[in-house]
Parts: sequence; C-alpha cells; structure tokens
Amino acid sequence: MIEIENVSLWYSKQTRVLFNIDACIGHGRKVVICGPSGSGKSSLLRCINGLESFQEGRILVDGISVLAKQTDIHELRAGIGMVFQHFELYPHMTVLQNITLAPVRVRRKSLADAETHARRLLERVGIQEHAANYPEELSGGQQQRVAIARALAMEPKLMLFDEPTSALDPEMIQEVLDVMTDLAKEGMTMVLVTHEMGFAREVADEIIFMDKGRILEHADTASFFDNPRHDRTRQFLSRILR
Amino acid sequence: MDVDVIVRNAPFIFGGLYLTAQLAVFAIGGGLVLGILLGAARLSRQPWLYYPVSAYVHFFRGLPLLLVIFWLYFLIPVITGRSLNEFAAAVIAFIVYEAAYFSEIVRAGIQSVSKGQRMAGLSSGLTGVQTLRHVILPQALRTMVPSLVTHSVVIFQDTSLAYVIGLREFLRRVNLVDAREARSLELYLFAGLVYFILCSAGTFTGKRLERKNRERKV
Repeated sequence: MIEIENVSLWYSKQTRVLFNIDACIGHGRKVVICGPSGSGKSSLLRCINGLESFQEGRILVDGISVLAKQTDIHELRAGIGMVFQHFELYPHMTVLQNITLAPVRVRRKSLADAETHARRLLERVGIQEHAANYPEELSGGQQQRVAIARALAMEPKLMLFDEPTSALDPEMIQEVLDVMTDLAKEGMTMVLVTHEMGFAREVADEIIFMDKGRILEHADTASFFDNPRHDRTRQFLSRILR
Repeated sequence: MDVDVIVRNAPFIFGGLYLTAQLAVFAIGGGLVLGILLGAARLSRQPWLYYPVSAYVHFFRGLPLLLVIFWLYFLIPVITGRSLNEFAAAVIAFIVYEAAYFSEIVRAGIQSVSKGQRMAGLSSGLTGVQTLRHVILPQALRTMVPSLVTHSVVIFQDTSLAYVIGLREFLRRVNLVDAREARSLELYLFAGLVYFILCSAGTFTGKRLERKNRERKV
C-alpha cells in the first residue's frame, strides 16, 4: 500500500512542481495518473521510490517512509519496479545482462539462477530469442518489454510505469500494453502515468487526474470517465478522447 | 653522421627508454584510477566531497608539472622523514598531477551519459556507487577514449621532465651520452624519432579504438 500524505515538491521558489498531494493506493490496485504535460505526474511517480526528494509531507510504501533517514532506500527501491519512457536499457550490456545485473548485485543471486529466471521472464514478455542481443538491435517495443522483464526480475511488489508507450511507434504500442495488461491480471500493484486512455479504461481501477502540480480528481475508473466532476477534467477528456 | 654512437650506447639508452615506459604506465594507470575517483567525487552532491576535490583539481591544474615533481621530491622526505628514490617520487608526482587532468575528462564523460541511465540503475536497487561502476562508467569510458588517449600521449612525452630530480630516463640518458661523445645532431634526431614513432603508435591505437566503438554502436 502506498500512502502519500501532503507531499510538496519544488526546485526553487518559482518552480513548484507538486502542491500538497494526498493519495492512497491499495494493495493490488491499478492506478493510472493522467493529465496534461508538466502537471507533475512523472515527478509524483519518482517521489514514490525516492528518485525525487520532496520537501514536505511523507510517502509510506507498505508502512516504510521513503525519505526517512533510517529507511534503507536501496532495499525499498529493490522491491519497486520502474519502467521509463525511453526504456533506459543499459546499451553496453546484452538483454540478458540487463536483466541479471540487479538480481546479482542487489539480491546477491548466483548468475546461473539469475539467468534462468531472466530467460523465464523473457519468455513471458515474448522475446526469449533475443537474450544475447544488445538493446540497439531491438525494436522500441521489444526494448520496452525487456525493460519490463528487467523490472520484474527483482520480484517487485509494486510496479511504476512512467509513460511506457509515449516514445514508441504506434504499431508497437499494443505489444507493450498487452504485457502490462497480463501483469495487471496477475494482481500486481501498478501505478501508471500514461496517455493511453483506452488502456486506462480497460485495466485501471482508479484514475488520478493532475493539473499544475495538484490532484484535481481521484476516482474509480467508471465514474472518472462517465461523470468527471471537474471542468478541467472534462476539458482534458474531451481533447484526449476523440 | 655517425650512427654508430647510437649502436654503441644502445643498452644504456634503451635502458632509459624502459624506465620512461615504466614511468608512463604507472603515471597513466595510477592517474586514471585516481582521476576516476576524483571525477566522480566532483559530481557528488556531498559538499564535504565536492569542495575539497574541486580545490585539489584547481590547485594542480594551476601549477607546472615540473614544479610538482620538484616539490614532491623534496617535500615527501621532510613530511615522512624517509628519503624517496627518484623513480618513486616521479611516479607519485605524475599520478597526483595527472589525476587532476584525468578527472576533468572523466567528469565530462560521466556527464555525457543520460540521467535516465542513472535513474534506471538506482530504481533497480543498485547503490549510487554500483550504478556508477556498472551502468555509468562503462558507457562514459567509451566516449572518453579519444581524450584519454590524447592525454596519455602527452603524459608519455612529459615523462622526460623527471630529469629534474635526476631520474635517468630516456632523454636524460641521450643527454648524458651526448655529454660524453659530443654527437648532438645524431643523438637528438634519434631521440626525436623514437618519441615520434611511439606517440604516433599511441595515437593510431586510439583512433582504431574510437572507430571500433563507433562500429559497435551502429
């Protein structure tokens, strides 16, 4: 469970990114964060695993405070998978090495165990034949699926997705969404920043709508799409759902 | 032209070249290792790391190498109470001095790797140091190869400065032979040729490495 309590983030007085964010995300829930660009969606996501340090408030992941001094942030992050817009596969490593790096270095798994597990994950995302390839030899969709496999290799209890399909060619979006849909069906807790509203409607339990660093609406999926309460939400939806 | 003067003194002169090569290897290897540590430290957000290391880099970049070699040779015995042989003093001086230059190359190399790579490493639970070592540095080193090779060639040339503390490296020995045999033209032409061939070989290897990198990237 993620508890976000009164979180504010700023880089300087002029550039405030998040204003008093409150949200609670239950175990096994799939929550989509949407909103116009620059609304703080990605920043909020990065606050959850402490990649961004906020100035006020606190975030608890399964009761552990992300920024507290006594928290082992590396241990916490190891249990939270993250997938990025630009994949961020390590270009100097093969697909298999990309996936085994963290399990071997962080979880102290043997390389053989890590590789066996990695191959199982590659099979799961449908690219087992590319284990020995370098990322640059793969299509964008394949790279993003490797990135998902890499995150899953740490057996996370929570997955964060930061616009995972925004950098993809249109014909590759579906193959990545399919993998994410499968993951959702298996009961993974997922927080996703995405503009794929069709996917959101199908997979998400709740939608958070953000604008200018604030949460304007946080509702279950059906009522978000059918009865948006806020004018700004209606405006956003009418533009994005055409 | 009396080429025989070189043949006659070859063991002595090439013994000096061996010493020069040793000094260059230690200077480049040690300078690079220390340079990586300093370069990484200069990108740290910890003020207790950033400020002293930045001061160190600025300090040594503002001094002639010759002076640093002198200083260390005379200073270390005063501080430690033990005298140092010329070779050890020269090696320490080169490492301490060149690390400052290498650190700037390393810093630029690290900054050339996208921030997303660091985030990917950290988000998987790797520590900052692990991310640097396994994710950032291997990529940074690759972009750094041309500058590293260029600077290594410069270091090789600069090893001759160790003559000031009496180290009988290659050029110093050529110099000594000349004092005995008075064959300046032949000897210094020969010395120039040796430096030129070795430095060109270094530069050529650097170019090849660079090309190999580029091919692998495509």
